[in-house]
This record gives sequence, C-alpha cells and structure tokens, in this order.
Amino acid sequence: MSAPAVPMTDAAGAAAGKGPRAAKPPGAKPRVQHKGAILAFVIPFGALFALFYLLPIGYAIYQSLLVIEREGTFGQATQVFGGLTQYILVFQNGPFWESIGRVLAFGAVQVPIMLGLALLFALLLDSPLVRGKKFFRLAFFVPYAVPGVIAAIMWGYLYSPNLSPFSAVTENINFLSADLVLWAIANVVTWVFVGYNMLIIYSALLAIPAELYEAARLDGAGQLRIAWSVKIPLIMPAIVLTAIFSIIGTLQLLAEPQVFRSFSSAVTSTFTPNLTVYSTSSIPNFNLAAAFSVVLALATFILSFTFLKFTQRKESK
Amino acid sequence: MQIKKRAATVALLTAATVVLAGCASGSTTQDSGDAAACAPSDGKVDLTFTTWIPGIEDVVKIWNEDNPDVQVKVQTGPNGNGGTYQNFFNQLKAGNAPDLGQIEYDALPNFRVQDGLTNLASCEGVLDAQDNFVDWTWGQVNFGEADAVYAVPQDAGPMAMFYRADLFAANNIAIPTTWEEFAVAAEAVRATGGYITNFSQSDINQFAGFVWQAGGSWFENDGDNWTIDLTSPESVKVADYWQDLIDRDLVSTNPPWTDEWNNAYNTGSNWTWNSAAWGANSIASGAPDTAGNWSVALSPQWASGDNAAGNWGGSSTAVFKGSKHPYEAAQFALWLNTSDEALTMLNESANLYPAAKSGLELPALKEGVEFYGGQPIYDVFAEASAQVSPDFVWGPTMTQVYNDTSDGFKGAVTGNGTLTEALTSAQQSTINALEAQSIPVNK
Repeated sequence: MSAPAVPMTDAAGAAAGKGPRAAKPPGAKPRVQHKGAILAFVIPFGALFALFYLLPIGYAIYQSLLVIEREGTFGQATQVFGGLTQYILVFQNGPFWESIGRVLAFGAVQVPIMLGLALLFALLLDSPLVRGKKFFRLAFFVPYAVPGVIAAIMWGYLYSPNLSPFSAVTENINFLSADLVLWAIANVVTWVFVGYNMLIIYSALLAIPAELYEAARLDGAGQLRIAWSVKIPLIMPAIVLTAIFSIIGTLQLLAEPQVFRSFSSAVTSTFTPNLTVYSTSSIPNFNLAAAFSVVLALATFILSFTFLKFTQRKESK
Repeated sequence: MQIKKRAATVALLTAATVVLAGCASGSTTQDSGDAAACAPSDGKVDLTFTTWIPGIEDVVKIWNEDNPDVQVKVQTGPNGNGGTYQNFFNQLKAGNAPDLGQIEYDALPNFRVQDGLTNLASCEGVLDAQDNFVDWTWGQVNFGEADAVYAVPQDAGPMAMFYRADLFAANNIAIPTTWEEFAVAAEAVRATGGYITNFSQSDINQFAGFVWQAGGSWFENDGDNWTIDLTSPESVKVADYWQDLIDRDLVSTNPPWTDEWNNAYNTGSNWTWNSAAWGANSIASGAPDTAGNWSVALSPQWASGDNAAGNWGGSSTAVFKGSKHPYEAAQFALWLNTSDEALTMLNESANLYPAAKSGLELPALKEGVEFYGGQPIYDVFAEASAQVSPDFVWGPTMTQVYNDTSDGFKGAVTGNGTLTEALTSAQQSTINALEAQSIPVNK
C-alpha cells in the first residue's frame, strides 16, 4: 500500500504550503510525517475502493474482451479471448447509439430546466424576503426521499389515460405516446431531483460572506441585482458540480424508463443505454453487456470532462 | 443528483453480474449431470427452491412434514421474465444457484444452452414418470431426446377464449367459433363502444400461442443447427390477421398486466380474452366487478371444423447444475407435480392447470367455478389440452426474442410499422444473438 501514500505527500505538501509561507524556502521538498497514521486512514478506503470499484471495473473490461465458443446446438460454452470483437458489435448496434442520442436530447432539455428551477428555488430560499424557509426547504427536498421506482410508478398512474385523477387532461393528451413519453420521464426525473440540486446550491449560497451583500447594498444594488451579479457568479462551482452529476445521471437513466416500459408502448427494451445493457445481460450475453457498459462509461467520462473544460475556460476568460 | 440513486441501481446490477461472476467462473465447466451422479445423499438434506407460484409455501410445508430428512426451503420472487430468470443466470454464473427452480417451458432451452440444468434421466423414477404427463409437455422437457429429462413438467397453459357471456347475449352477438367470425363479431362489439379483445403487444407469449395454434413453430433444432422461423407462413398469417384488427381499431392495445388493462376488463370495455387456463385467476383478480358474467369456450379456429389449440405458458421444476442433491431434488419435483395433494393445492392457490394426466382428473377440476357462472371451465381446458400440437419448439434466447419482438409490436400498435415487419426484424436480430454466442444457426 505504498502507492496511495505517494499522492498523499503532494496533498500534505499543498496543505503545508497554505501555512506560514515564510517558514519554508520555496522548492524545498516537504517531509512526510506520520506515515503509519496515513496508512491507517488510507487502507480501509483503499481496500474497499479496490474491492468494490476497481475490481468490478477491471472484471467488466476483462469480460468485454472475451467471446464465447461452443460446439453443437447445446454444446458446452467456453470463453476465449476475442480482442475487440464485442466492441465492434457495440459500434455496429444502431439501437444503442439511437438511445445515446435520445438521452443526450433528454439531457439537453431536462438538465437546464431542472438546474434552472433548483437555482431559482435556492435563491428564493436565500432571499431575505421569503418567509417559512424551513418549511419550503423541506418541501422541495421531500420528492428526493421517494425512491425513483416509486416516483415513476406514481407518475405513471397520474399519466394513465383512463385511471388518472386528471383524466380530463390525460384522455386528450397521451403522455405515454411515442412523442411525449421521453418528456414525461423528464418530468419525473425533474420532480425527484430539483430538491436535491437545490440543496447543494443553497448550501453554497450560505457560504457567501455577508460583507459582500453589505458592500453591494451600499453600492445601491437591489435583491435581484445581488442575486445576478454577486450570488450566481460565486456559486458557479456548485452549479457546475450539479450539472456534471446531472449529465452522468442522464446517461445512466434506468429505473424510470424501466418502470415506464411496462405501461407505455413507446418505451422499448433499448430506450436508454442502460436498458440496452440490462436487456443484453438478460439474454444472457454478459460479454456484450460488459462492452456496452465500458463504452457507456467512456462516453460519460468524455462528456463530463468536456463540460468541465468548457466551463473552466469560460470562467477564466 | 440522479447519480446517487442511479449509481446505486447500476452498482447493484453490475455487482450482481460482475462481482458474483468473479467468484466461481470455474464451476460452470462441470460435465453434464450424468447417471452415476444421481444417488441418494446420506443424512439430512436441505434443498432450496425458487419459484413465483402464489401460496407455494403451504404446499411445501406438507412435504417438509412428511419428509423430515429432506427439508425444502422456498424463496419466492417475481415471475421469470420479470427478474427471476436474470437472477438464475447470475447465480449460475456465480455458482450459487438454488437446488430447484421454476422455469417456464419457453426458457428451458435458454437455461440448457447456458449449461444450467441437471439431466435427471438417471434419477430414480424420473424416466418412468413420462407416461404420467401430457405428451407435449414431456417433449418440452426432454428436447425430443431419449435418456434426457431436464425438468419435471408442472403445469400447462392450453388456450381457450374467455368471454363476457352476458354482453354477447344482451347484444345478440353470436360467440365466434372461427377467426373469421371473430373479426365480424369484433365490428359488432366495436359498434356498441367496446372492444372484442385486447392485443398483447408486450407479452409476446400470447402471439406465440396463436402461431402455435395455427400450426407454426418458431424454432427447429436438428442437432447440428438451429433454424429460426419467426416469419413462417403461419406466423405471417396470424400477424396479418391481428394487424388488420389493429388498423381498424377493433381491438384495444392496453399493455397487458397493467392497471389500465385490468380496468378495461373490469369496466366491461373488453369482451374477450384469448388466454390460458391459468388466466382464469388473472380475470378473477383483475376484474372482480364482472364476477359471474364470464364463460369459457374453445378458441376460434382458422377453418371451421378444425380442432387446434395454442398454449401460453406453463412451467416446469428444474434442478440446477451444481445442486449437490439431485436425487432428493428430483423426488421433490416429482411429488410436487404428480401427487394429488400437491396438484390440488397448486390449483386452489394459483389456478395451476396440471401437466400430469392424473391431475386432469382431480375432483377440484371437475367442479363448476363460481366466477364463471358455475361453468366447469376446466372441462374446456382439458379438451383444449388434448388439441395442443407437440411440435412447437422454443429457441435458446427467448428473452431476447420477446424483447425484440415486443419492441416491434409496440411500434405497430402505435402506428409505427407492422407486426409482420416486427417479426422480420426480430428474425434477423435473433440470428445475430445466436451467432454472438456461437450457437450454430442456419441463416
């Protein structure tokens, strides 16, 4: 376990750098103290991280490189190394890439709406003009406490053409049709996660020093102006964080479409990338499912980091 | 945001498939369960049994009381394609499958091709049991091979037509006996505002049952190669027939097994259901307000005077590869599926229609059923059971076939493509799925 200790020296060094700078000549290599203590703290994390994170990922990559061979219609299957065979199948799979396109369209619309609402609610909670903050903070957050599957079943009932309590609406607008079902699901996801994102943004707002508001008020800024020119720029890192979480979550949509699949004819077994993974593993074709998962993970990484780079460049301008 | 819960779901799925699989991939390469292996174990034996039959606990309790040395522990889960099969496959890969499991006939080839089943032919009494079972069910568990028994048949799903006797009578519409008459009656029913029936776009077993009745078969296994025939003339005939009814808005298309679907039956909007013997339970629980108004008749025929029935569902009890006690497991499976006491209880608690011939003579299956106006409905199913063709063969990747076909059928009922196009596309994707697993297939 010496490897994880190495980055810790950098971290220790960075932390030391924040202290009384004059004490150390620049460029001096910081000494590592309490090696035993560092190890004691790192090993539990490191072991679990390796066991439940690195090992499964490694195993998935390993599985994705295998193909099955067998003799005869009920022959014994043997797994042999197949190189990138499964990945070629992934790239040839039309429905999989359609589903990636579908969740990207979903994300492009749903994430801004959800984060916009979360930001609005957080700003309202933070504004001195609003009363009953504790109540609203809890009320906005409650949907997040409802498990995603239950939320999907509940909304599915509300959307139901004949059984919905709002059947006057749902009889005329079929929210479960091919045109609307993606946005019906977007609504469920938004409902569940607005409160969660609001809480992250709100806690960032609470960390802003009050002097800044005082200074802004002295300069004649009203509440709107303070929100726009002081608060939002300062909580930008929190918003970027929620955006990245949302992008990852969007690409990994599974529970809601899985539930909707049972009562909407528009949701297929390949509606989202993760549903494709699920359907493939239930064939069962674990190798191809593993390849789908690896490609999906890579796509998620690329998208998240592109977004991060993009926003950082914008900020530095 | 989403990440937390989604990640948890995904992590669970990945953990199930990936981590568990890592533990024991070596154990999947055992040789096929051989004759010599099936001997009684010494001492007390504990068996595990996973199933989704409602009320199974009470049946197993009787066995446990009578057999103190062979104790069976029951686990229940969702129905096969609803998640239990996925669990079985994962458990098999991880080497910790239960001793016994419920597997529907259509999934048996899939489990066999994944090397998940123990051949019970050498276990005492199993081969001798053949004569106890309805012929076609035995063909499903031995794959047409001598000296092979990969599961013990449990129940069957001979199909008939449940219909609202009161509505047909009140509107002076004759009960259809051919599919042609069925289509004519569909117009008359639609004129009253209802639908003659619901077409199942997401549970493909109903459609497969129709094809079965029409004399088609989707798969063939000549020992060297699989032949896939989703687009056989019979299959296309059935698809065109239902496509026409869908196009003319003569059948409803509520996704089956949903509240909407129950509601359509409970409110009298749907008048008939072409379903299996076990469906008697589904109507009674899904449409309680219509008690007493239903009757059962033999399925409409393609030509007047024909005597053919399809089959929808039906399960077997299989012993999984890796069970240390195949002998005891086989004895339990035989008792569960041939003894009068077990079959009577299974019929009472879950309306299971026995695959055992002796079961068809049970007093409980001769009585009138109150929900069906006192009609002895199982007489109809007994007649249908004898009409089910033994030639229908299931393929080795039915979960995939159902998924791909239902994706296409779902499009067809929403005006996107046709049922026949869906079958054509599923034909190709099934060939691909078999090739991906090196299962030999004729193109």
